[in-house]
Amino acid sequence: MSETLVASRTPGTDTPVPGASGASRFWRRLRARPSALVAAAVVALLVLVALAAPLLTAVEGQDPTTYHPSLIDSARGGVPLGSFGGIGADHWLGVEPQTGRDLFARLVYGARVSLGVALAATALQVVLGVAIGVGAALGNRWVDQLLSRATDIIVAMPLMVMSLALLAIVPESFPRTVLVTFVIGLIGWGNIAKIVRAQTLTLKGLDYVSAARLSGWGRWRIARRELLPGLAAPVITYAALLVPSNISVEAALSFLGVGVKPPTPSWGQMLTAADVWYQAAPQYLLLPAGALFLTVLALTVLGDGVRTALDPRAASRLRVGTGRRREAKAGETAHSESDKPHKEGNA
Amino acid sequence: MRQPSVHRARVATVSLALVVAAGAAACGPKDNDAKGSAGDSTPHKGGTLTVLNSEPQTDFDPARLYTSGGGNVPSLVFRTLTTRNREDGAAGAEVVPDLATDTGRPNKDATVWTYTLKKGLAYEDGTPITSADIKYGIERSFAPELSGGAPYLRDWLVGAADYQGPYKDKKGLSAIETPDERTLVFHLNKPEGEFPYLATQTQFTPVPKGKDTGTKYEEHPVSSGPYKVVKNENDGEHLVLERNPHWSAATDAERKAYPDTIDVRSGLDSSVINQRLSASQGADAAAVTTDTNLGPAELAKVTGDKELAARVGTGHFGYTNYLAFNPTVKPFDDVKVRQAISYAVDRSSVINAAGGSALAEAATTYLPNQKSFGHEPYDLFPAGATGNAQKAKELLKQAGYGKGLTLTLTHSNDKNFETSPEIATAVQDALKKAGITVRLQGLEDNDYRDKIHSVKTEPGFFLAHWGADWPSGGPFLAPIFDGRQIVKDGANFNTGLLDDKSVNAEIDAINKLTDLDAAAKRWGALDKRIGEQALTVPLFHPVYKRLYGKDVKNIVISDWTGVLDISQVSVK
Amino acid sequence: MNGFGGFVLRRAVGTVITLLAISVIIYVVFYATPGNVAQITCGPRCSPEQVRQVTEQLRLDDPLYLRYWHFLVGILVGRDYSTGTSLEHCAAPCLGLSYQSDQQVLDIILTKLPVSLSLVLGAMVLWLVLGVGTGVLSAWRRGRISERVLTAVTLAGTATPVFVIGLVLMIVVCGEFQLLPFPQYVPFTDDPEQWAWNLLLPWFSLALIEAAAFARLTRASMLETLAEDHIRTFRAYGVGERAIIRRHALRGALAPVIALNANNVGSAVGGAVLTETLFGLPGIGQELVHAVKVVDLPVVVGMVLVIGFFVVLANAVADVLYAVADRRVVLA
Repeated sequence: MSETLVASRTPGTDTPVPGASGASRFWRRLRARPSALVAAAVVALLVLVALAAPLLTAVEGQDPTTYHPSLIDSARGGVPLGSFGGIGADHWLGVEPQTGRDLFARLVYGARVSLGVALAATALQVVLGVAIGVGAALGNRWVDQLLSRATDIIVAMPLMVMSLALLAIVPESFPRTVLVTFVIGLIGWGNIAKIVRAQTLTLKGLDYVSAARLSGWGRWRIARRELLPGLAAPVITYAALLVPSNISVEAALSFLGVGVKPPTPSWGQMLTAADVWYQAAPQYLLLPAGALFLTVLALTVLGDGVRTALDPRAASRLRVGTGRRREAKAGETAHSESDKPHKEGNA
Repeated sequence: MRQPSVHRARVATVSLALVVAAGAAACGPKDNDAKGSAGDSTPHKGGTLTVLNSEPQTDFDPARLYTSGGGNVPSLVFRTLTTRNREDGAAGAEVVPDLATDTGRPNKDATVWTYTLKKGLAYEDGTPITSADIKYGIERSFAPELSGGAPYLRDWLVGAADYQGPYKDKKGLSAIETPDERTLVFHLNKPEGEFPYLATQTQFTPVPKGKDTGTKYEEHPVSSGPYKVVKNENDGEHLVLERNPHWSAATDAERKAYPDTIDVRSGLDSSVINQRLSASQGADAAAVTTDTNLGPAELAKVTGDKELAARVGTGHFGYTNYLAFNPTVKPFDDVKVRQAISYAVDRSSVINAAGGSALAEAATTYLPNQKSFGHEPYDLFPAGATGNAQKAKELLKQAGYGKGLTLTLTHSNDKNFETSPEIATAVQDALKKAGITVRLQGLEDNDYRDKIHSVKTEPGFFLAHWGADWPSGGPFLAPIFDGRQIVKDGANFNTGLLDDKSVNAEIDAINKLTDLDAAAKRWGALDKRIGEQALTVPLFHPVYKRLYGKDVKNIVISDWTGVLDISQVSVK
Repeated sequence: MNGFGGFVLRRAVGTVITLLAISVIIYVVFYATPGNVAQITCGPRCSPEQVRQVTEQLRLDDPLYLRYWHFLVGILVGRDYSTGTSLEHCAAPCLGLSYQSDQQVLDIILTKLPVSLSLVLGAMVLWLVLGVGTGVLSAWRRGRISERVLTAVTLAGTATPVFVIGLVLMIVVCGEFQLLPFPQYVPFTDDPEQWAWNLLLPWFSLALIEAAAFARLTRASMLETLAEDHIRTFRAYGVGERAIIRRHALRGALAPVIALNANNVGSAVGGAVLTETLFGLPGIGQELVHAVKVVDLPVVVGMVLVIGFFVVLANAVADVLYAVADRRVVLA
């Protein structure tokens, strides 16, 4: 894969951030974006709901696993009795068809699994992707070859096949939720590694990094102080896209029968069970679908906000006129011919 | 035995064939609500019947098919010595002659069975069908490369245990004699009064030796039935059958063969199949499915719609879903523990998980609740609809588990609503009330099958099911409870590892009977006797609800298969 | 930089190494997968003796390295197989015979591939139109209500699993309003018009899932380009906004879109499992999942290799396209 190409894969990859900027500026920029703040609040709320699931269900007086056969119509396939899927004071969001389990409880407990798996898997992908990407870019030729080849293999390997196979191999006694997280995480780091490697190569060619190298900084110090901040923007952008896709993978694994173990609820498992109920008990499908949508929307908006806040050029774009600019167009990386001169934009 | 797995290919043959054949209900009070819905209910010849299925007909070789009663689609192409009676309900569970003039003439102790072929039988190319062709068809089913069928021929025919099929062993099977072109004589190594039932399976289909292409034969099997295969695309995903001009209705009292063409489309998602049948537009108006049930969600919708409800065929196939114990694993060696679980089980929540009371009936007997099985109702450990937690706790206390008990329930991760997580979870919830904590062990389906069918790895407590190879107690009880059928180094189905001399002796005694009604009664009694040992907890018998297109007429659902018989339907 | 020939050669070598590594991984992984292959192949009620014969015939007793070696030999020079009833020659590149159906894996792949390609290429057109269109509109209308609505719609597509979108679309479009017949795959060569009509819903479902990523990508790249100095210069000189978007901003979005597209097309050839399953399209993905379930190793390895090949190929094509689109880039 040509690094120039990969560098351009994600918007913002061409905008390194010097280590100088600091957290306070970041927060200031972030606060200036109300949509990002709302999104952050929503994400925080979702996480809070997931963490407080036992408490919330205790308030409701329900739990996610108890069957309520009296609340469903067995002769009609187990459709919930009562209007709107049995919504009422006892069951805030109604009950699940066929079992009568409380949907509110399953939804909030499901948030724990879905968000937990998706966020942890994303974290794993990011850590692996950054480590391997940076390692390839900074290592010698052989290290680069090895790591890049490994990345190619991971990218070219069909995710579903490996997931199905790995989930079948690992002994059943291993906690399934952790396993699903690991499988998704271990299989999905390829693209992030490619992006990071390309971006690192770009950064390496930039003047201030060269300057740091010339002034005798060690490899790790450069990586930590100069490169990682520059990687933050593209990595965060990509990670914001990875979270929803990881939730979908968890759902797809449930669909194929290898998701988290019952009776543990997850949004993916709920969606899988609910799609056929779209006509007979619509709320059963709409609840997890809505929750998932809200999560994805909030994460995307938040990701946008964070990226903009991290990215000085984007910030300058917001306030036209503050002249701190830098140009490092996708094509103008270390490995490309450039028909435009580099502009020194680092203030 | 029917395997309801999602697997295609050879494994799937089993499921497909048996699903195809899977059967309908005599005993239920509601098996008639589907019939006579159309205005002009007189069937006419002509038109194209579309079959919408989820499992492709990956195997179309009569040697490889595992069917109950010859299957549904296969039975349109393959005629057999005997076949199932194509009638509604209990009458449909009877065996009737097909290629043969009668259902077989036994000697005194039912070890020798003689058949005579009807006159005027011909293949699709007009060549006559001979007794040697039927013998050859049976012989090829012994070839390991054409494996997949039921094990009975190998177990019953004299000297067949080591036979490797006609490709390796040119001498053939001496247990089958063909003294002339129309006569077959079968020599069995033990009395088997139910041999006529076995002769309904596709292994009893004639195969002309000159046309045998081994493993490629399934691409174009030579038809002896009313239809021939004109197209087989993508390994059975799309089949087109057209009339076989050499089939003569005069020799076939069972198959009506109204449509001119049968178009079988498979590999479809089950909810899509039901959506298509319910919309019933275009070619789907003349469509049926032979392998896809209405799901609970679809049922909820269909029952609210009169037009749709009139287009549902209800049937019962001899089939039982149950909890199985391995009494060599603690604490299941203690009959009190097994009884406690029998008392504690909440069948209503299990039934709900399986699709609700319209799709499953509570089972307290191992044998299916049908007359042909000799079903004798019993409920040895009455749990009521929702379980008797009190009685269960008492028994556990006696067994020394007064403080509660923690168990592991093994199940498959396949979404089949039989041995699947949904059922396991319902059992788990029900046993909680009796102070039993259940840990679920969900295995990938292959792993699950390997484990439960191997004496060495069999878990103590697991979900299981068994279906009828033919509607009688024999193939239901013998493989599961006959001590001599315990297989130590291969697939074992006697999972309770029961080796009870009196049970074995009674099985032998019943097998001698050629009066099938008398045999049925004794199977029923034997079932109850075995039930006392609490080696299984019967959970439910499935009910089949199948939607069909609005132009489909002449719905016949036998207790043998439980689904509408496509040799009977008309679309005009 | 030694021209196009050198690029092709380097890519080819890299592809071979990648595919070899993938095949080794699959062999090892599936060797460890539970499930008695011989019993599955033979049938659940086969006797131990029959199972033994099947084991022998499929050479399941051979050690792993030997089986892998035979596999490699088959690819390079072909192999002879005994199906028990006949001897069959499988010419190079021979990917083996399916345990389950005795068909040559290459034949199976060749019958399934047109289906998967029909699905993916058609969906690709849709997701590019939907995604890039939405991206352009939302960059142009940045911050307005119309942008937010568009963003929400595409995200809803991403956030909903395809089995939900597809089923609901099918119930509404085909069942309730009967605007289209229920999809049923018709080969392009049989009837191109029916082919397209039947694939419309599958294309749409798959495209909806993918469109959001393209929309985000296009929007972000365009915004970045629009913020660049030379664009502002153009604006200052009075170049119209439409012209700027068409000539400059879109061009900036081209590269990342090409790259993401390559990635998606490559992996969807074998990865659109759920779409294929739901719509009953007999493609690679559906067959692959089935093969995994019955531990049909030759089919799994063959298909994974084909999918891997498509991913690599799609990325190479993307690089070439990118180089064509942007002269400044050098193929490396």
